[in-house]
Amino acid sequence: MAQTTQKIKRPKTLYQRFKENSKAQSAATIVMPVLLGVVIVILWQSQALHHLLRTNTFTLPLLTRIGEIFGENLDKIWDNSVATMTVAFVGLLIGSLLGYGVAIFAALCPRVGKGGLTVIGAFASIPVVALAPVMNNWTKDVSDVASVRSMVAKILVVMLIAAANMCLNAYRGLTELKPYAMDLMDTYAAKKRTVFVKLQLPNSVPYIFTALKVSVPSSIITAIVSEYFAEYIIGVGRQIRENIVLAQYPTAWAYIAAACLLGVAAYVVLMIAQSILLRRYH
Amino acid sequence: MKKRTVKMINAVLAATMGLTLMAAGCGSSSGSSSTGSTAADTTAPETSAATEGTTSTASGEESSGAPGDVMSSEEIIRKASGEGKISNWGIGNQYEILALLAKYDLPLEYLSEDFTMDAFDDDTSTLASAMTYNELGLVKNSYDGAYGYGDTVGYIDMNDEGVAMLEDNIFCTKEFAAQNPETVKAFLYASIKGWQYAVEHPDEAAQIVYEAGSSVSQDHQKYMASEVAKLVETDMNGNTVTDIGKIDDAAMKQTLDIAQQYVTLDDSSAQEAFAALTVDDICDSSLYDAAMASTDGKFNVEKNEVSIQLKWLPQAQFMGYYVADAKGYYDEVGLKVNIVSGGGDISETTAVNNGTVDFGVTWPTNMAVANAGGMNLVEVAQIFQRSGMTLVYKYDNFRK
Repeated sequence: MAQTTQKIKRPKTLYQRFKENSKAQSAATIVMPVLLGVVIVILWQSQALHHLLRTNTFTLPLLTRIGEIFGENLDKIWDNSVATMTVAFVGLLIGSLLGYGVAIFAALCPRVGKGGLTVIGAFASIPVVALAPVMNNWTKDVSDVASVRSMVAKILVVMLIAAANMCLNAYRGLTELKPYAMDLMDTYAAKKRTVFVKLQLPNSVPYIFTALKVSVPSSIITAIVSEYFAEYIIGVGRQIRENIVLAQYPTAWAYIAAACLLGVAAYVVLMIAQSILLRRYH
Repeated sequence: MKKRTVKMINAVLAATMGLTLMAAGCGSSSGSSSTGSTAADTTAPETSAATEGTTSTASGEESSGAPGDVMSSEEIIRKASGEGKISNWGIGNQYEILALLAKYDLPLEYLSEDFTMDAFDDDTSTLASAMTYNELGLVKNSYDGAYGYGDTVGYIDMNDEGVAMLEDNIFCTKEFAAQNPETVKAFLYASIKGWQYAVEHPDEAAQIVYEAGSSVSQDHQKYMASEVAKLVETDMNGNTVTDIGKIDDAAMKQTLDIAQQYVTLDDSSAQEAFAALTVDDICDSSLYDAAMASTDGKFNVEKNEVSIQLKWLPQAQFMGYYVADAKGYYDEVGLKVNIVSGGGDISETTAVNNGTVDFGVTWPTNMAVANAGGMNLVEVAQIFQRSGMTLVYKYDNFRK
């Protein structure tokens, strides 16, 4: 019979079939994180998380409660978020440009610049809590308006952190070229300027995004922490601090949620920009 | 030769950047040391000017002891507010200042003060919040870590302005008070005994605190002890307090009234709960009364090891507890007390509420706000009977 002649085939396990199915795989990359999120939400809302962490709904309020307060104070949260994002974005922009500039200088005159790079790396490791009060003191003469000089101080802190990050990564992008690429340029007798524009600059673009992937979240964190010390009272970070000291945890958590959203939103924007700009590289 | 120059340039670059780093480091450390964190070995004589003028109580609307050509308190507040140069630390310390601004119909805005008086020093803030026992001393006195302004500065006292709020108290959770009444009584009995001794012997108390791990210099500790004694022994109207630590209902009512007017919470349900609070919801005098009624100081403590969370770093602001510990008053009532110092953004209400510590020192306003948010705390004694909050200014900035 036909059935007896059939080749004996060991049935594939479900896991194997799942692993080989590319459609299922791409779906899993979306489903799995969402599933984890759902599990955490259930654990949180059902207070299982509270038992696990041995805390209470006071210090870790239920999600519905946080959401409630978030909804109640949308205007205030928005105003504070705008203040924080302005600091983070302007600081990131100026800092990254500055860092890239230094990287170019270091790449063009490596023997002079390399020493400087090491020191700039050290800058990145100064804690924000030390930097922020110093910047406050340095920017006192910038303006008579407290909100302005306070913002300048915060931007300077973000700038320093972002600059160090960009500088180190961009330097690698400008100098770590594909093997023989430089030799090829030599055979063309290319001028230093041509080499820089045609070879080094394009080579550094992916590295810029590597730097930004770190800088974007860290600039938001830096902005939030520097708000703790700022003279003018505004920003998501300052609100978190005020509310925690006053034991208003649900409100503090609403601002923590706002901070998370800012970070995620900024990262998504960066990822979209990267996928558009780096298309021709892949 | 080329290599050499490159090496030299390298060295110079590294050196300058290193120096910049060091400068940045120094900047931050000098910032914090100006709060007087350095131990003063130099025995700078405590200026008599330091205590002059600070003793005035309830002298009316006029700024105390100011030269004739200086503006009145109201004019000073108006001018500083108009320039946007009034400062306070915020995070729960701002309500007296807000009440003061509201009293003169001024915008409720202030600059955020850090934990130094540098902003006052360089006139970024011309009317800066200063506690009588701490920042005011640092501004006036000339010992190490202080600014040495002496007689060239004046201050506006919240007690005189009628916007005073009560400050340092002793509190615990209602649950703890209900389950360990004898322990609370014993703790109060010994602590108040410590405070009584401390206000009578401030110099000795200062020394005890200094040895217990002080965060500030010995001279500043002495100054603080003498000023704190005044806050413990005098009430908001300038009268002498007979029962140290007793909850003064009228003063508590004023505190709560001001708080309910100026505390704004984003959480609408907490705001409603806060508006509905009464003095009885947050205070319980019965344990204090029972403790003071004890003639022999013997208590059947339910728990013989307790801890108290301070609101700030170890300093004479909390001398009563350190004295009670050092003099063995806690041992006498059968308690072993662990004094936990605060500092920075420590939230003493949370620490007490979640059981990390048994007792805490905070301001009634902070405690009431925490209760509105869902905590169940109760004040069992009120150590400071008048507000230590002042606004300090330089005479030169406010001449007529």
